Amino acid sequence: MAALTRRQYLAGLAATGLALPGGTARAAPARVVCLEWTSAEMVVSLGVSPLAVGDTRGYGDWVQGPALPQATIDLGSRSEPNLELLRELRPDLIVGAYGYGLDENSFTRLAPTFNVPFYSGKAPPYAQAQQVTLQLGNMLGRGTEAENLVGRIEASIAQARARLERAVQKPVCVVSMFDDRHVRVYGAGSLLQDVLDRLGLVNAWTGATNEWGFSTVGIEELVAVGEAQLISLDPIPPHVRIRIARNSLWANLPCIRNGQVRTIPPVWPFGGLTAAGRFAEFMAAA
Amino acid sequence: MIAQAMSLPRQRDGLGALILLVAVPAGLALMLTVFDLIHVLPTHLWWQALTAPDTSDPVQLLYRYAFLPRVAVSVLAGAALGLAGVVMQHVLRNPLAEPTTIGTNAGASLALAAATLYAPWLLEGGREGVALAGGALATSAVFALARGRSFSPVSIIIAGLVVSLTFGSAGALLMALNREYTEELFIWQSGSLVQNGDAAVVALAPWLLAGICAAFLLWRPLRLLDLSDDGAASLGTRPAVIRLAGMAVAVSLGALVVAEVGVIGFVALAAPALARLAGARTLGRRLVWSPLVGGALLWFTDRLVQHLPFAGEIPAGTATALLGAPLLLFLLPRMRTTPERQADMMSSVRLPTNGLPLIAGLLALILAVVVAMGFGRGAGGWHWIASEDLTELLALRAPRVVVALSAGVLLAVAGTLMQRMTGNPMAAPEVLGISGGASFGVLALLLLSDGFDRAAMLGAALAGALLALTIVVLVGRRNALSPARLLLAGVAVATVASAFAALLLASGDPRTGFLLAWLSGSTYRATPNDAFTAAAVAVAVLALAPLTARWLDIVPLGETAARGLGLRLGRVRAILLALTALATATATLVIGPLSFVGLMAPHLARMLGFRRAVPQLLASAMAGGLILVAADWAGRTLIFPWQVPAGLIAAFVGGPYFMALMWKGRQ
Repeated sequence: MAALTRRQYLAGLAATGLALPGGTARAAPARVVCLEWTSAEMVVSLGVSPLAVGDTRGYGDWVQGPALPQATIDLGSRSEPNLELLRELRPDLIVGAYGYGLDENSFTRLAPTFNVPFYSGKAPPYAQAQQVTLQLGNMLGRGTEAENLVGRIEASIAQARARLERAVQKPVCVVSMFDDRHVRVYGAGSLLQDVLDRLGLVNAWTGATNEWGFSTVGIEELVAVGEAQLISLDPIPPHVRIRIARNSLWANLPCIRNGQVRTIPPVWPFGGLTAAGRFAEFMAAA
Repeated sequence: MIAQAMSLPRQRDGLGALILLVAVPAGLALMLTVFDLIHVLPTHLWWQALTAPDTSDPVQLLYRYAFLPRVAVSVLAGAALGLAGVVMQHVLRNPLAEPTTIGTNAGASLALAAATLYAPWLLEGGREGVALAGGALATSAVFALARGRSFSPVSIIIAGLVVSLTFGSAGALLMALNREYTEELFIWQSGSLVQNGDAAVVALAPWLLAGICAAFLLWRPLRLLDLSDDGAASLGTRPAVIRLAGMAVAVSLGALVVAEVGVIGFVALAAPALARLAGARTLGRRLVWSPLVGGALLWFTDRLVQHLPFAGEIPAGTATALLGAPLLLFLLPRMRTTPERQADMMSSVRLPTNGLPLIAGLLALILAVVVAMGFGRGAGGWHWIASEDLTELLALRAPRVVVALSAGVLLAVAGTLMQRMTGNPMAAPEVLGISGGASFGVLALLLLSDGFDRAAMLGAALAGALLALTIVVLVGRRNALSPARLLLAGVAVATVASAFAALLLASGDPRTGFLLAWLSGSTYRATPNDAFTAAAVAVAVLALAPLTARWLDIVPLGETAARGLGLRLGRVRAILLALTALATATATLVIGPLSFVGLMAPHLARMLGFRRAVPQLLASAMAGGLILVAADWAGRTLIFPWQVPAGLIAAFVGGPYFMALMWKGRQ
């Protein structure tokens, strides 16, 4: 419980701009490391180059935008960021999400930490992303950039909505494909759902989702989305794409028979504002 | 050699029992299927929707391309497994042979994992080819290892276990290093029968048919395998060719099922065993009835899990493992095994035992600890720890090194105790399912709660280890702890644990990262608290174990001798069991269920000439500590900044090491 209150305290301070020693020169942390991709996306989006990020190769495949600077050091896997390397890098700030089994205490003894508290179930992810972006901006001395980012994403979502409103839009169903028998479908509680709401699009998947806002289901359950427009997030393994097309059930699903599956470039479904902006943009770019 | 017949109370025709055996599960499955169907589609549409489905109607679509294929695949896969099992068991004269125990499944899984990551184009046409190649390769490895012992059942099961563990740890490593890319494999691993059309049915049916034809063509020659090889040869057949043909059929069927639906445990083992119990004594009968029993069993299981309260959460592969394990344990005492003379597995060189090697071992261990603490890799390359970094780096490294050291010592002591207690050179916490039991306890706790409380986890691990030990000992007791039975009981427990793990991993639980790391033996999350607990238990066990030295020297002499020497066997066994359980549970909690150290270390000690209880205990503890400390160090440095779990490295090195020992001991 202590960690939580401390975190809230820090976050509160950050929000009011008092987190860092006041006075003439507010030294923003220069050496920032990110343990996983959500925090890396946010930090890079604010114009800060992280010193190191967990699993840089995976970031390139699954998050893509904004691209990591060339010089970013790989910190090892996201489930086991290398502590010895982390210590050696002497970071001023460690940013990360701890929802998946990492113990924040192993990092607090190395440097101040900032937690990206996504999917705590308290607030919709998009609103949370805005709030965390502002806090992070203050903490990194990029308050203006953070406000700009929030505004820019709002504007680009509004723009996308305007473009979409020119035609009648079918309900959509957003999935990731991992094999040829199951999909991960995004619904209530996901960042993508929030963006769909802001775009004025209807999510045809109204079924139950887990606390991360998705559900892994057999493809037969996609019958429930009727003739919705199916949106599939890249990357899809090529062999899955080939084999799923050969399936009689898949080929005959109402959402496949009466329309094409639209594949859009990678959007990190557990990402922040940039992920939200990318998703809106891809949705409107038909 | 184990006589392959199950003991039967009396001779009887048994046809009635066989029909019941198939009809009861099939009848129940049919009832459930019809019950489900009525909810899917009105009866008058059943035929029309089968032959000419109106695919614009979602209900007919589901009926035709999801529901019916799933029923068909469950029956086909079950039948294929039943056939594969009966052929394997006959060819190998081994009632325990099935695709899981002889390595086929592990080989196919590893091949599929590697292909998914590095050569996905191989999978475009389907998984069959890749699974077949991997399964055949692993099975061949098992045979090569077991050959010198003329394929004795125990040697095949052991070779299968070692190959499976090695391949399994390689697969786990690939998945741990590529977490986001292997979602497909997690789902597939749990053995889901979800279908999306006729593809799997179309793929399985002709192969099953071909398998049935081949099996019946081979029926006559296969029967001759009951004779001695010389006898068979004198009748003009070539036993080696027949064996090869039979295994080719069985392995293909097993690998195909793995390719189409994933790992479905136990059906191939249970179907022939049940058929035999019900009275199918001749090979011809078993060939007919085993596929029927297998098909009925899997069909029923798959229908049943969909009606359980936590519907849809349990994949069929997990369910068969959960249902099959108790069945196996139930069957074990009914299996007649003529005791096999258990020659020393390992050739051993007898060295004069004095204190010197022990001191040398201690020095090596100290050196290893110093290197593990002091020498490492950083952004600038390899370097010794600098004095200004001493406190900070040691704070990071010490818990991991201490945990590895303590776990190694604990597993080694547990292995030594078990090997001496059972007189079985293959006994080890990993092999006999004690580690499996401990992880089962932890997994059950994780399923039931959503916390990470270390004390509760230790309690759960301890309870699981004790439970597994008790089961194994009870099952093995009837036959003076016959090696074959002990191993099987262990396999059963380990299978349940891994089925549970697969279930948790496939559920998308956010603790998956932790679970994967733990299952593969990572020391990353070792806290000073863990290190302290593990070290304290290790010291306590090391201090207590020598007190049991006299028992340990006497118990291997046999029950009569032990009683004659005034040992109260019941109490002695209970104390030794408790000590073993405590050591295994603590080690499993900090380093996971997979490491091989408990198997390897006692052998190393014996090979170095430490034969008496206390020297063997000490030497084996040192070897165990040394192995895991070295593995942890290698895991932290080899692919820096990425890390390889220590348990995986130990298993990865230990598996081939053990294979080499078996290979050398062939002659």
